[in-house]
Amino acid sequence: MTDSKKPVLEIRNIAKRFDTTQALDDVSLDMFPGEIHALLGENGAGKSTLIKIMTGVHQPDQGEIALDGRPIRIGNAVEAQAHGIAAIYQEPMIFPDLSVAENIFISHRDQGVVLRWGKMFRDAEAILAQLGVHLDVRQPARGLTLAAQQAVEIAKAISLKVRVLIMDEPTASLSVHEVTQLFKLAATLREQGVAILFISHRMEEVFEIADRITVLRDGKKISSTPRAGATAEGAIRDMVGRKVEDFFAKSQVRRGDLLLSARGLGKEGVFSDVSFDVYRGEVLGFAGLVGSRRTDVGLALFGVERADAGEITLDGRPVKLHSPDHALQVGIAYATEDRRALGLTMPMSITANISLPMLREYLSRLGLIKRAVEETAAESFRERLAIRAPSVRVEVARLSGGNQQKVMLSKWLNARPHLLILDEPTRGIDVSAKAEVHHMINDLAARGLGIILISSDLPEILAMSDRILVMREGRQMGIFTRAEATQEIILSAAMGQNSGARGSQ
Amino acid sequence: MTRNTFGSLSASLERLKSWEGLLLAILVVVVANNAIQSPVYLSVENQVNLFQLFIERIIVALAMTFIIINGEIDLSVASVMGLASCLLAFLHEQGTPMPAAIAVTLIVGVIVGVFNGFWISVVGLPSLAVTLAGLIGYRGVARILIEDRSIGNFPEWFNRLGQQPLLGPFPLASLIFLALLIIAVVILQYSAFGRYVYVIGNNREVARYSGVRVRRVKMILFVASSVVATLAGLLLAARLGAVRGSTAEGFELDIITMVLLGGVSIFGGSGTLVGVGLSILLVLNLRNGMSLVNITSNTQTGVIGVLLILSVLIPNWGQDAQSLWNRRRRVGPAQTTGEGVGHGS
Repeated sequence: MTDSKKPVLEIRNIAKRFDTTQALDDVSLDMFPGEIHALLGENGAGKSTLIKIMTGVHQPDQGEIALDGRPIRIGNAVEAQAHGIAAIYQEPMIFPDLSVAENIFISHRDQGVVLRWGKMFRDAEAILAQLGVHLDVRQPARGLTLAAQQAVEIAKAISLKVRVLIMDEPTASLSVHEVTQLFKLAATLREQGVAILFISHRMEEVFEIADRITVLRDGKKISSTPRAGATAEGAIRDMVGRKVEDFFAKSQVRRGDLLLSARGLGKEGVFSDVSFDVYRGEVLGFAGLVGSRRTDVGLALFGVERADAGEITLDGRPVKLHSPDHALQVGIAYATEDRRALGLTMPMSITANISLPMLREYLSRLGLIKRAVEETAAESFRERLAIRAPSVRVEVARLSGGNQQKVMLSKWLNARPHLLILDEPTRGIDVSAKAEVHHMINDLAARGLGIILISSDLPEILAMSDRILVMREGRQMGIFTRAEATQEIILSAAMGQNSGARGSQ
Repeated sequence: MTRNTFGSLSASLERLKSWEGLLLAILVVVVANNAIQSPVYLSVENQVNLFQLFIERIIVALAMTFIIINGEIDLSVASVMGLASCLLAFLHEQGTPMPAAIAVTLIVGVIVGVFNGFWISVVGLPSLAVTLAGLIGYRGVARILIEDRSIGNFPEWFNRLGQQPLLGPFPLASLIFLALLIIAVVILQYSAFGRYVYVIGNNREVARYSGVRVRRVKMILFVASSVVATLAGLLLAARLGAVRGSTAEGFELDIITMVLLGGVSIFGGSGTLVGVGLSILLVLNLRNGMSLVNITSNTQTGVIGVLLILSVLIPNWGQDAQSLWNRRRRVGPAQTTGEGVGHGS
């Protein structure tokens, strides 16, 4: 049934301008049934704007969108839905207290007044079966894994007879195993003739799944290549418009003195028996799938969630870490993975965010904040980390994701920690900001900081770490040196397979 | 210059253009109208009298501003004021010397604050529920102490402090208000504590993850709120000269109204003392002006209610208008470039 000659959706010469930014400039794109079309580009390249135009959030200044060759108007999300265009995002939009089936059929308003529960459950089961997903449709959506929630969203799209499915960074929060499940789903949809627009920052995923790869840069279409003719290097070159040589370049740093050592760390029902050492100048990677409790160990070291078993020594002295305030005082900082909810005060200025943990250092004798000193400190970080903002007085909410991330890192660097815990420091930021963060990690290690790098990005953790601690469901599976570690070894340890789960201390 | 959230001058300007600017404009109109209506209106005496009628509530509004910016609410303040007046009267009646009675009352104020703060900051209960219980409970204690009586005959020096000017035309209460206002502005806008109040109001988890001792800040705020309310209760007793179980009843609503009308967000995280100051002036002058033209007290309350709704509506309209304006400006150049591209392709 796949007629790949005729595109289902044609995007023709779309242009869109915001203020002084030309977000999209004469972009054309054809989507064919049964084709997975990957869209690549740095943050700000125009991907989000394109998606918003396709889903009716924005109207194009110019150009048109045609469905089956006929121009259509997409005035809002409901109209997009009526045309068979649906989108799923990194964070699924799920009603946690409704059942799986109710979530799938939430947008249906054509079934009369009285709800026929039995029929709804059967239909939901049928759709999930069609996708090859096994979920109890009567179970509330609360507690489903992210991957399962996305499956529910996809089922919702199917129930609305989706013809064009936009997947906007659907894998960013998923573990490796869950990504595999999602890709199986995408392949099923492809077989059923759905056109998929797939957006991801992970190159290897794009090459694994896409049939065609289109690169946007600065609002323009740079290239559109069938997968057979595309290479990762070529795609990255198109994205950044320059040669890529030093991504993931971990410079060798001489390992310094023992900084922190944890023995038998545990927290009832969360993780147990975690033991490791971090040396000055060392990057210790924390690898593991979602649910491995890596972040919880990080939170225990920062005193947010107290560990209830085990010992921690810092510079040879035993410490009890019972609050972030206390952790900061002994020189431990934790940059959260959730910068919106836990990392930054969005309506406040760059300055106020950077100085917050160290506000005590900016006080005059009368206890008042020395604004000038505070701003100078923020200004120095703006230059050092190349934060793109007109001034340090700008509200953080107005910055792009990558720049917000830099503000958050500045905030913790300003605290001058001995041990810096970075939780997913490059999630959801563009290629060049990512490279800058990696440079920064190298630089900090070279200055003698101990760094714990928690990351779901396997190539990143392999490239950046001196040693890698692998966790699985709250248990430590092993610590691997840089020389021993390969993707296969780390992954099999993280998935609990015996072959790789040895490792050395 | 006001500073709304720290360092964001533009945000302050936007707010000033919208709500605080509007408050100022209404205030000017009201004062001008009142001055025309009555020749003595602008005299220092009349203005001081205006303040005197509400002075205790105004003092408590200062502390309430901190609490609401912090994302909490203290409904118990009026009952704490009542409790303070009644306790003082009770102790005085029992023969306790006035200075000792005042000291004991203030200590009880601290204890009440710690009690509120314990449930809110340590146990983590919502302040709305805890202080609603306080509103009922402390009023109950006050009524038990005084029963149905009205207790007066405080020493003359005490009543004089409440009723007579102390320095120039200013009675003690207004001097205390001025001092507290200055302290409040300095703490809220220029100290680390003030910064913490805003950050916690915006997002307490971000504050916690940044090493801010959130519980401590909340505890301090609720103790301060109770102590200030206790002080205000003492001043009220001195001004009225007699105390009942119902003294200060319902004042919490006037207090919260003044704070919200000043543009402090009920959701926490934003607001300024400048806005609250303007709103206090407006409420006083508006009520007085309406009295001058024989508008009844009930109607006055209704007008204040309408203003309060507007205080929530108008900043939102302001934002909408702002974004509409930006869009208009955007469309201008965009169309010209758009045409250029069109011809080119």
